[in-house]
Amino acid sequence: MVRVAVTGLGPVSSIGVGVSAFADALHAGRSGISRITSFDPTGFPHQNAGEVQEFDPSRHLRRLDTARWARSSQFAASAARLAVQDAGLDIDAVPPGRAHAVIGTTSGESAAVEALTAQMVDGGFAAQDPALLTQVPANRLANAVSEELGLVGESLTIATACSASNYAVGYAYDLLVTGEADVVLAGGADSVCRWAHAGFFRLGALTESACSPFDRDRSGILTGEGGAVLLLETFEHASRRGARIYAELLGYGLNCDANHPVAPEPSSVAECMRLAHRNAGVKPEEVDYICAHGTGTPANDLVESKAILEVFGPQPPPVSSIKSMMGHTMGAACGFGAIASVMAIHRGFLPPTINWSNADPDLAGIDPVPNVARQADVRVVQNDGFAFGGNNAIVILGAVT
Amino acid sequence: MTGVVVTGWSALTSAGIGVDALAAAVAGVERAGVGARAPASQGVGVGHLYPEPLPSPTGHALVDFNVREQLGRKGTSTYDRVTGLAVVCCQDALRRAGMTIDDSTRTRVGVALGTSLGSFKSTSDYSRETLVQDRPYLVNPMLFPNTVMNCAAGQVAIRFRLRGPNATVAGGTLAFLNAVRYASNIIERGYADVMLCGAVEEYTPHRAWAAHLTGATRTVAAGEGAGVFVLAGPQAADWAGARRIAGVLAVTTGYGPGGGSQADAALAGCVRRALGRAGVDPSEVGTVLTGDTDEDDRREYGPVVQALGHEPRRIMAKRLLGECDAASGAVSLAVLLALGERGISLLTSRGPDGAVGAAVVKGLADGGADRG
Repeated sequence: MVRVAVTGLGPVSSIGVGVSAFADALHAGRSGISRITSFDPTGFPHQNAGEVQEFDPSRHLRRLDTARWARSSQFAASAARLAVQDAGLDIDAVPPGRAHAVIGTTSGESAAVEALTAQMVDGGFAAQDPALLTQVPANRLANAVSEELGLVGESLTIATACSASNYAVGYAYDLLVTGEADVVLAGGADSVCRWAHAGFFRLGALTESACSPFDRDRSGILTGEGGAVLLLETFEHASRRGARIYAELLGYGLNCDANHPVAPEPSSVAECMRLAHRNAGVKPEEVDYICAHGTGTPANDLVESKAILEVFGPQPPPVSSIKSMMGHTMGAACGFGAIASVMAIHRGFLPPTINWSNADPDLAGIDPVPNVARQADVRVVQNDGFAFGGNNAIVILGAVT
Repeated sequence: MTGVVVTGWSALTSAGIGVDALAAAVAGVERAGVGARAPASQGVGVGHLYPEPLPSPTGHALVDFNVREQLGRKGTSTYDRVTGLAVVCCQDALRRAGMTIDDSTRTRVGVALGTSLGSFKSTSDYSRETLVQDRPYLVNPMLFPNTVMNCAAGQVAIRFRLRGPNATVAGGTLAFLNAVRYASNIIERGYADVMLCGAVEEYTPHRAWAAHLTGATRTVAAGEGAGVFVLAGPQAADWAGARRIAGVLAVTTGYGPGGGSQADAALAGCVRRALGRAGVDPSEVGTVLTGDTDEDDRREYGPVVQALGHEPRRIMAKRLLGECDAASGAVSLAVLLALGERGISLLTSRGPDGAVGAAVVKGLADGGADRG
């Protein structure tokens, strides 16, 4: 049986770039929320998001031509490069075709689409910049990773919205256990954009300045962005090169609500948890921590909590949401969740849910690790991901035994 | 047999809705000689489809497509075009497979659809509202899910109550091969028994102009289409559909960083790997379906010939059915099955950067457009 090791982490986030800055921020409960600068938020009642304000791709990228690749691709490629560096892997030494790139996303190159839309509003369809049009297809997120790292293996972008990077990590797991790969760069990327900000606002799902998951008075998400990539490799490959192994990827589960485009369904979410446990070979009582989907909307947190209580009983493990710190990074969210889960195992702490003030009686039994990180011996983590379209994906990570 | 089998399929192309319309269209072309130097079909008049200007008066659109006629009013009011095409195509593919979906099987049936970026029109229109409305947030919340790329696959699941793994892969011209690769893995790993696997692309002013401005429709006209194939393991139970129309023996995808000769080599490598996995000798390949646009376009055919060591018959579906971007590969496989091919064929795709892929397909005795 092939086992899958997590040996490198590449977070490019609003709370820190690189694993050490990111983990320190998680531990400190730092907020990455600020006034939006990537578009002009004038006229919006709510004007905050989790932007990566100091993103400088030239600090990370060696091969990718930033003039030809848009923001989300740059996030993905930068995060992948960081993960390779963190893993201490000589990527050029991996045999051709044995390393793959799998990237999840919600909105792909949304910033490019918005720039083209502005050109159309001003000058009609014919006024669009052809060079920018070539940057729009969402497959370019994974392709950017392949370009940056010189990978000739599979280059797959999975567009299952806000659970997409759990799909990506799951597919990477399959590539490794079926012998298709020695190494996979897996994660997700997305950029803050006007249309999502407007859409979530009109759904009544956008809060003003502080996202407070699992709080009684929670009032929605803040949009966020970034790139989150994990370097996964077989244990055999990792041990042959003497790599540090942060954690083991134990398996994952996927299912679909098949019920409503945006409203999640508790029984289906619970079933996805059971599927993930079964596929990963863990029992509910072995799970020490749940890195929640935890968007901070009244509906998500209620549904997720109900499902957790259904699967784990009245005393589930602690459940926290890193979206309280960085907002909802969409297609990158599960990737950041997976990185946080790995850090929870490796450094022995539970990231807090910040901005938490009042217990919600409807969420009785849920311990959201309020406001302050907690030292803990974390052996098994469940990383939740749910999405529009009822696309549920849950990944299980464990300490190396 | 390696890989997965097709127990049913359908296609929506400019030839019309369903298998028979496509079969009629390709039979005529086959008689005339596939890949002939005759001009590519420029499609039909599309000027009436949208109030906005289009870069060309003709295209390969389903000009009479009406989602309500196909599905009724219930649940369809928020569908955009790409979602409508996907749901209608899945409905027909399920019907033709004769699948039984009930509470005992619905968790074992999933969906994998390929796209470029969902609906460029839905997304751009939404973004446009934030710029032109009195206040930037005056967008329609009911249409927000249409801006997300997994909208079509999610609506397919809702319509047919399919609770298995539901995936959307964004591959551009590689989208269909990406979807087949993804769906095959889901089946082989046991996460589902059946996958509705396909790809879909809509004809809109946004796509037509993007194709025009980037040069994608210099030789062939802009098009739209959907192709959906019911995939199951070779030993699947009867409820997955009794027929075995074709086998997708192997699918491989890869990337040639920098494109050009690197991508040539990556595509040739994909072909060799796919044949190796399928246990097929290069000499057995009788037909190759490529995304090339004319006889002189050898971006795919060149590396294929290099890998095979001979020049099989080449079918270029987009000369007949237009540039369907993400749906290109699905339309190609639909053309192959509509022709009732029984031998070994190769399906290839290549993106504008470095993405490449190949699939080995074997027509089975249950095939042919006249069956079922």
